[in-house]
Amino acid sequence: MADRKPPEDDLSNLRRRIDAARGGDGSQNAPPPQSPASLALRYGGEFGAAVIVGGLLGYGVDQLLPTSPWGVLIGFMLGFAAGVVNVVRVARTYNQAHPVDPNAPSIPDDEED
Amino acid sequence: MADDPIEQFHIESIVPIDIAGLDASFTNASLAMVGGVAVAALFFNWAMKPAALIPSRAQVVAEQTYGFVHGMVKDTTGDEGVKKFFPFVFTLFLFIFMSNMLGMFPGFFGVHHIFTPTSQIVVTAMLALLVFFTVIIVGLFKNGFKFFKIFAPSGVPLLIMPLIVLIEIISFFSRPLSHSVRLWANILAGHILLKVFASFVPMLFAAGGAFALLSVLPLAMTVALYGLEFLVAFLQAYVFALLTCIYLNDALHPGH
Repeated sequence: MADRKPPEDDLSNLRRRIDAARGGDGSQNAPPPQSPASLALRYGGEFGAAVIVGGLLGYGVDQLLPTSPWGVLIGFMLGFAAGVVNVVRVARTYNQAHPVDPNAPSIPDDEED
Repeated sequence: MADDPIEQFHIESIVPIDIAGLDASFTNASLAMVGGVAVAALFFNWAMKPAALIPSRAQVVAEQTYGFVHGMVKDTTGDEGVKKFFPFVFTLFLFIFMSNMLGMFPGFFGVHHIFTPTSQIVVTAMLALLVFFTVIIVGLFKNGFKFFKIFAPSGVPLLIMPLIVLIEIISFFSRPLSHSVRLWANILAGHILLKVFASFVPMLFAAGGAFALLSVLPLAMTVALYGLEFLVAFLQAYVFALLTCIYLNDALHPGH
């Protein structure tokens, strides 16, 4: 067995073949498919959480300063805004991860034009 | 009540411990958590013991799990994140995954069910807060005051900056809430749904006649839901770990 290659060569060879079989980039990280329900829960959770936290922060301000009830009111308002920001962020990352298929049939809209 | 769908979430004390008036008993929830950690640790030790060049099946599972989380951390936070946070994220992932999975099993050996720790918001909130404070502390230590850039996105006119900063702060503080609620709500809702559908089976069967025949339908639904719950158990652990990575990335690279 004089011409036997050292195992490192075999290993890197194997690694190369595995990478090629996986699609080149060596990433084995295909994210599992997300069900629409979990996505919906995600959007709702992001929005609701921001509203609740905004309200709580406003309530905290009211407790510290004599601004009641304006802290809670403004906090809720800002919370709604932050919720929208959260949802937009989630939607943006989702759309980046799942680009729309350009060959997909377009959905007809029901506007009369 | 055997058919109370909430009954499975009752905390029962196993070893009562009382520290200065605080109830710190070892409960069925603690037991399930210790069990999850033990199963994960024992499995990885056993599977990786041979550390063979040509792996056994168990070793493949262990290595793939490692590679899966490693790839996820690397994709989201880069090489620096892998160096700093990989053990943390891997531990979180395994803990949540094992807790979810153990909770999928009905009871045996006289234990009438296995508790699911992730169905308690205390547990998930603690995990989410752990991530939250890790982000703040690491972010402040690594970036100093530049960490606060995460509250001030670039390219915003100075006039509306105070408003944006307030909104960003609320958005930042809402993270641990949505982070923990997502895992908790998914697991809780899934387990309640399973129990509700399963309880229809004996109810219909006891009604007799044509209803007894109909009891096959909720049984089939329960089986299908069980399959779905296994997917959810994995998916929620994955989502929790992925969000952890995204948040940790903010600590390393503040400013969007």
